[in-house]
Formats: sequence, structure tokens, C-alpha cells
Amino acid sequence: MNDTALILKTGLRHLLRMRITLIILISVSLMCVAGLTMAIIFLQIAPLVRTDTPDLQTLELYLSLIVFTSCLIGAGVNLNSFAFQNLTREKSRGNIEALLATPLTIRAIWAGKSLAIFIPGLVLGEVFALITLLAINFIYFIPTLGFLINPWIILSGFAAVPLIYLCLSLLVYLIGLTGNPATGNIIAQIFLPFYASLMINLAAHNILDAGSWSFTLANFGTATIITLFIFLLQPGLKREKVILST
Amino acid sequence: MNPVIKIENVRKILGKREVLKEISFAIEKGDIFGYLGPNGAGKTTTIRIILGLLTADSGRVTVLGEDINSRETRRKIGFALFPDGLYDNMTGEENLMFYARIYRVPAPSKRIDESLQVVGLQDRAADRAGTYSKGMRQRLALARALVHQPEVLILDEPTAGIDPSGQIEIRQILLDIASREKKTIFLSSHNLDEVQRICNRIGLIDRGEIKLYGDLEELRQKMGSGKILIKTGSNLPVSLLEELKTVPVFGFAEAAEDRLIFSPRPGVEVSDLVSFLTARGIRIEGATRQEASLEEIYSTILKEAEPK
Repeated sequence: MNDTALILKTGLRHLLRMRITLIILISVSLMCVAGLTMAIIFLQIAPLVRTDTPDLQTLELYLSLIVFTSCLIGAGVNLNSFAFQNLTREKSRGNIEALLATPLTIRAIWAGKSLAIFIPGLVLGEVFALITLLAINFIYFIPTLGFLINPWIILSGFAAVPLIYLCLSLLVYLIGLTGNPATGNIIAQIFLPFYASLMINLAAHNILDAGSWSFTLANFGTATIITLFIFLLQPGLKREKVILST
Repeated sequence: MNPVIKIENVRKILGKREVLKEISFAIEKGDIFGYLGPNGAGKTTTIRIILGLLTADSGRVTVLGEDINSRETRRKIGFALFPDGLYDNMTGEENLMFYARIYRVPAPSKRIDESLQVVGLQDRAADRAGTYSKGMRQRLALARALVHQPEVLILDEPTAGIDPSGQIEIRQILLDIASREKKTIFLSSHNLDEVQRICNRIGLIDRGEIKLYGDLEELRQKMGSGKILIKTGSNLPVSLLEELKTVPVFGFAEAAEDRLIFSPRPGVEVSDLVSFLTARGIRIEGATRQEASLEEIYSTILKEAEPK
């Protein structure tokens, strides 16, 4: 088995055994997604659908925002709760030091551990996004307007946001490994709410159409910028630096 | 024969502090090497350099004649560090399986059973590591170190924080491993009694310098602080006591009733003292040499090293 896959598998197994943390995580994410979705539905979508000629573009915009934020919330809550907690514990209990003394490469450890944080959030975010997308369509759109979706909504919600989240997981873990895990956590805690509100505001003020290519491109661009940060910081990923930061 | 671990003029500066000051020593195949020193002496830094976790600023470290940073060399080393780095949510067996896969151990289940048997944890293999006592955790860490059948074991404080019966168990396991599996063991410890019981060679580090290094028995003799006790059976004349003081090599220390105590310089044998006394008409009832204990050697060296 590939080294990264081995670390990933063990990391996932370890995380999934923290049942209480998982239940709290899923509950909090669910409440956030449900609250936001219902607010948009009752305040914006439902009144629009009831009109004689619903504006499809505006409905697509709201649908896109719901999918985008559902995915971001699911992924973000997971990153904020698990990355810091997990990395702090593993550094202080010697798990990381023990792995560094094995033949594993430091990059395999970093990638495996980051993916172990990323995958549960990805699944959670995508499941929330998919459920809200299908639920809104079945309840509001299919009876009168048909299935409402466009490829940019799919790309933004199911490709660009996961990519941002993957890059952020790698960045947060990289910073946490080579320095203080709290620093990585602060970045995630500031970035995700800031990014979500920025994109929602840009869409709400018609600067970026959330159901268009520009919104998708902006998300891919953000992922590219985070990737550049990773490339800049990656040369510092050395065994010695990790050990001395513990 | 090439040493298993060879450290040559290794220097390490962390921050502004010179943690290791060009230290050198070698560990031969089959040695149980005890690495002693007070807190902050540089023991953990040395271990981390041997394991390739830290890089020496100058000097050279080889394990089994090879550079430590090669993956192949890492495969030949087993380690148990402090803290142990076990996964509490995983069972003992799962912890070992994880490491067996990292080291690509063929037929890992069989090897895991063998390792658990060596440390006597077969019955608790299916329990989560988080439920283990401190001593059991340390034994599991030892099993993890053994799972890929390494040639060298590097152990950082293997009995730290463990109750006396647990310490005895771990010492016994280490002796078994050394004798049965012919492993070379490097262990750092604060516990002088432990080192004295199981190690054949020692290194004493203080403030980043190796103060003492070599075969434990040889060191005991070389240190020359072993006392010689002579029982005379009668009180000795004051003139004789004065005469003894004029022979510095005898290191006459004190006279208590019918007993004479000497701290002789290296090379002085019990027979030399007995001859000296019998030549002066003193009847000797018994004479014994008390070799310096490791504790005496340790405290002597550290006292000498204290800044005046």
C-alpha cells in the first residue's frame, strides 16, 4: 500500500473512532446548513417561485449560493474542529515524531494526514450540498419549473469548493506541522467565514453571478492562490523543523 | 568489526545553546549501551540525531555503516521514544499492524503475534491502547519497535514513570531481546540501577560533553574510587597510621577501631596493602575491595564537571 494511503487510512480510522466529536461535528454542520438553507428558501426562493413568471436566473443564483455555502460549511466546520485538535494531540503525544523516525517520507506523512482531515469534511460538505440541491429542486422547482441546475453550480459546489478545501487542509497542516498548530487553525478560522461572506456578498451585489462561469473561476483562482502559498512554504517541511516545533 | 552506531565529533546548536559539543562514541554489535546524563544534558538530542530527526551541525553519524537518512537504514532501526506515540483509539494489535505496514513486514499478523508474545501482551492485543497502564504502553511501544525485526533498538527512557514491578518486567524483556534476538540496544536512562543491571557499556553525557564512555566493568576499575577495607582484629598504633598517611598512593582514608579504609590510586592492589601491613607486624583478618558503583562514578564525574 502506498505510504500516503496508509497514513490516510489509519488517520481516518482514528478520526472515525472519536464518535462523540463526530456526532457534535455533524450536528453543528447540519444546523448551520439547515438554518441558512431555510432562511434563503423562505425569504427568497419561495416568494419568487410563487410569482407568475419566476426569474430563473435569480433562482439559479440562490440555488448556487445554497450549494456553495452548504459545501463550505460542511468542510469548514470539519477543518476547524479536527485539524487543530488532531495535530496538537499527535504532536504532543509523540505520534508525529514516531512516524518521522520511520522510513516514511515527510511529504507522505503530511499528505496522508491532511487527506485524513480533508475527506470527512469533503463527504460531509458534498452530502449536504447534494441533499439541499435535490431537496430544493424536488420541493420547489420540479413541480412548476422543472429541474433547475447549471454546470457552473455543479463545478463551483462539487469541484472548486472541494479544491479550495483540499488546498486549505494541506496549507493548515503544513503550517501546523512546521510551526504551532494553533497558527494553522487561526488561518482556517479566519479564512473560511471571511471567504464565504465575501463570495456571498459579491454574488448578492451582482458583482459575481453565483450561477455563472465567473463565480466558478473565482473559486478556482482562490484554490490556485492557496496552492502558491503551499509551494512557497513547502521547502520548510523538514524533519528537524517539525521536531523543534513540538 | 564496524561499530553498529558511530558518532564522530557531532556538534549541535539549538537556538544559542550548544547542546552537543563535538561528541564521539561508538556502539558495537550486541552491546546494551546505557546513555546516562542529567536533564538537559543532550541525551534526547543525541537520540534524535541518531534517528535522523535532527541534523548535526558538524560531525558524522552512521548506523550500521550507513547514513541515517537513507530509507534502508531507517528500516534497520527500531525505536521507542518518550512520549510513546501510540494511538489511543486503536487496539494494541492495530497499532502494531500500522507500523508493520509502514515497514512492509511480510506476513505481518504472524510477526505481530511474535512481538506481542515477546512483551507478554498477547492477552490484551484486542484492547485499545488508551486502556493500557503506563507499563503496558511501554511494552507495546517495545513490541512496535520489534515488529519489523530491526538490528538496532533505540530506546529513550524505557522505564520512565513506570512502577518498580513494571521496570523489572521491561528490564527482563530487554535482556531477553539482547540475548535471544541478538539486537544491539541503545537506551537512555536516568536510572543508574537499571543501567548497572542491564548495560555492558555506558556513556555519560553532561552539558553536551561525553564525560565518560566505555565498558562498565573497566570503568569501575579505571575510576579507581573503589575502596579497600582491611580488618585487622586489633587497634592499630598511632605511629602506623601516621606512616600510612605518608604513602599517598594507598589513599588512606580512615581508621575505625579494627578497620582500615583506603581509597587507593589505580594500580594499587589489595595484596600491596596486606604486604605493607603484615611487614609491620599487623595481623590481617580480612581484606576486601569494594568496586565503585555506577552511582559513585556518576556523582564523581558530575561533581568534577561542576563549574568552580
